[in-house]
Amino acid sequence: MTAPPSVTSAVRVEALAVRGLVKTFGGVRALDGANLTVATGTIHGLVGQNGAGKSTLIKIIAGIYRPDAGVITIRGRPVDHLTPARVTEHGIHMIHQDRLLVPTFTVAEALFLGQEPRRGALPVIDRRALRSRAREALHRIFDIDLSPDALVGELTTAQQQIVQITRALLNQPAMLVLDEPTAALVRRDAERLLATLLRLRDQGLTILYISHYLAEIERLCDQVTVLRNGVDVGTVDPRQTSTTGLISMMIARDVGDMFPRRKAGAGAPALIAQALSQQDAFSDISLSVRHGEIVGLTGLVGSGAKELARCLFGVTTPDQGTISVDGQTLRPGDPAAAVAAGVAMVPEDRRGHGVALRLSVRENTTLAGLKRFSPFGLLNRKAEHRETDRLIRALAIRTPDGNSPVRDLSGGNQQKVVLAKWLSCQSSVFVLDEPTVGVDIGAKVEIYRLIADLAVDGAAILLVSSDLMELSGMADRILVMYRGRIAAELLSRETDADTLMRFVTTGRGGEADADAA
Amino acid sequence: MTNSWLRAGAPPKPRDLLRFGPVIGFVGLFVFFSLATSTFLSAANLRSVLVNHFSILGIASLGMTLVIAAGGIDLSIGTAMDMASLGFIEVLAVGGSTMAALATGVAAALAVGVVNAVLVARLRITPFLATLGTLFIGQSVEQLATGGGQPIYLVAGHPLAIFNAIGTGIVADVPVALWIAAGAIAGFFVLLGWTRLGRRVVVLGAGPGVARYTGLPVRRDTALVFIAAAGICGVAGIVSSATIRSYVPLAGNAYLLDAIGATFIGTTLGRDGRPRIAGTLLGVLLLSIVKNGLLLIGWTFEWQQVGTGILIFLVLAVSFGHRREA
Repeated sequence: MTAPPSVTSAVRVEALAVRGLVKTFGGVRALDGANLTVATGTIHGLVGQNGAGKSTLIKIIAGIYRPDAGVITIRGRPVDHLTPARVTEHGIHMIHQDRLLVPTFTVAEALFLGQEPRRGALPVIDRRALRSRAREALHRIFDIDLSPDALVGELTTAQQQIVQITRALLNQPAMLVLDEPTAALVRRDAERLLATLLRLRDQGLTILYISHYLAEIERLCDQVTVLRNGVDVGTVDPRQTSTTGLISMMIARDVGDMFPRRKAGAGAPALIAQALSQQDAFSDISLSVRHGEIVGLTGLVGSGAKELARCLFGVTTPDQGTISVDGQTLRPGDPAAAVAAGVAMVPEDRRGHGVALRLSVRENTTLAGLKRFSPFGLLNRKAEHRETDRLIRALAIRTPDGNSPVRDLSGGNQQKVVLAKWLSCQSSVFVLDEPTVGVDIGAKVEIYRLIADLAVDGAAILLVSSDLMELSGMADRILVMYRGRIAAELLSRETDADTLMRFVTTGRGGEADADAA
Repeated sequence: MTNSWLRAGAPPKPRDLLRFGPVIGFVGLFVFFSLATSTFLSAANLRSVLVNHFSILGIASLGMTLVIAAGGIDLSIGTAMDMASLGFIEVLAVGGSTMAALATGVAAALAVGVVNAVLVARLRITPFLATLGTLFIGQSVEQLATGGGQPIYLVAGHPLAIFNAIGTGIVADVPVALWIAAGAIAGFFVLLGWTRLGRRVVVLGAGPGVARYTGLPVRRDTALVFIAAAGICGVAGIVSSATIRSYVPLAGNAYLLDAIGATFIGTTLGRDGRPRIAGTLLGVLLLSIVKNGLLLIGWTFEWQQVGTGILIFLVLAVSFGHRREA
């Protein structure tokens, strides 16, 4: 299987090739001259850490972003000004992470949307043909019996994915691009999907497969390209490269002194979760974070780490288990109770959940501790201004003044406003969900320093992150989640990045034969 | 407050000037009607505009502004007005005391607000659909209560002090209806701009996700907003029915679209596009003088709506034109 399939003879045309792709977002280089060559009739993997540039690359191929520089060729012919519609015309179909199907459509309608069978020459949909063709297609491609009349919204994630892939295949694509297709699937469904993809490959389909699960990459792919810091650091045959080899390609080693030095804290337990379970997200999670301690929490998409963070703050309700702060049990599913107990949340979706963009720095900053600035419910603007100015200085927030809308600030400074919000109410337990995502390197270092200072002052910090370097640099110990459970608890000073990465991607430690679950 | 160019002393940019579209429009229309008609500028006419248009629509628009500031919409403000009016007049008609009538009116309006609050805050129905439902049900209730929509008149020979007080009363040279409007305006101005609740409401409108992820009492605030809005619209309904000394079924619905229009005209005033009491009141003034002025020029009722529509188009077009660049 290591030899490329000899579909065509001497001149083998690549299904897709990109050369020297560059894309910058407001000063941050997401792609810095990336290359990728996908041979016809193969499954080509694409791996890399979060922030390595995978999703940017995919979105450029999908025609959603336009590159600043670089060339894309499809079957040997250069193409530019790609739009999603043109990409489809070129025979490339994308299966994105977020399933883009209309939940109120039936399976048959969703499959044939825009190309419904007609009743003769009439502009009327032949519903019977629609149903029978849908049934036939699902059976032929996936060998499953899914009712054509079922509503998309009522299907399981796996079934929706099947519908989406079937829909793409109905268009006889030359190439399929799948972005993290198994992240939300249970193991059995993931297996079925992988088997189907292998069969489709043998039938001549070209597949670009993006996944964090290295085990899948090794099983599936003929070639895999590793991205790091916006460039491709290598393309290898995964079956001739060890998991360790792949991992060491993915991890950047050239880090300066980004992370502040700090002694691991060990105060009294602050945040304690006991036997916490939530359906389809995580089960039987127990953890504790002490005052003065930074605990890392990580896991792939679908591992339950994010869901756990939201649940700890009370945005979602657990099915079972308890959460307590400083010995006091929290009312489940009640963020107000969590805040009252001293819990602060820096959410991953900064613009949707962290700051109100239209409002001023002051209005955002004093929000969590509003009671302190409003005796008898009446706002004391002067006190508000004073506190805002103090926090602007303390956190070095770069803004003209406290009245400027947060929208005008850079991502890093917006994130500092989120932190300032919680400092204004003197929180003692911080749940930080990807606190430095989309933040430029300068602001990153400042945020790291702030987090470390908080811990030194006695705050308990749960740092949820998919940036393993950040975790190793900041956390005292790291909890790794895999498919809804805590797979490992590692002391960061005893754990190298490779080990950590292996736990994250396979759920287990030792040299992996890797088909872990 | 947010006029950075005023502070910095830099020359105003054209699009900053556009922000004052409603102000310029108001001044322009005021001058135009003063010149075009002989009666517009008379004291009697201006008083009528203020009492009959501005005060009632102004009070009702306060409620709408509050709800829109919280990120919602209330299509049932007319229902709250009518219920208050119905309760108020009905109690008087059967010989109840003035206090009882006032209390019944306000309570009826608050009941409408409680229904909305339950639908939106507890059952999590979107404000548009929830208040639309309340509007429909309210219309049926009004028709059932009045034998298919017969107005309730309090005939002459019913010289109630309350009508003289609210409807035509004058204190310190200012009509009582205006005093009530001024009080309501002051109250809502403080509520929205200077209280903790008001700040939470503004955050709820500007970032509902932020409110949730900051542990704010989102549901309680949402409920309070709808109840307060209905309550203040009840006051508007009582003032309205005291002025005309009767209850006219479904009369409140006439204020719904004007209140929405006034609020959105008002949002164009600030750089951040949020609903503000001052902006809404300017919107109310604009709509009031347009109606009055067009009537004096000789446009009939049907054509006044065209005038109002064009006005809203102009204001919003100008506003979105400048916001797109912002």
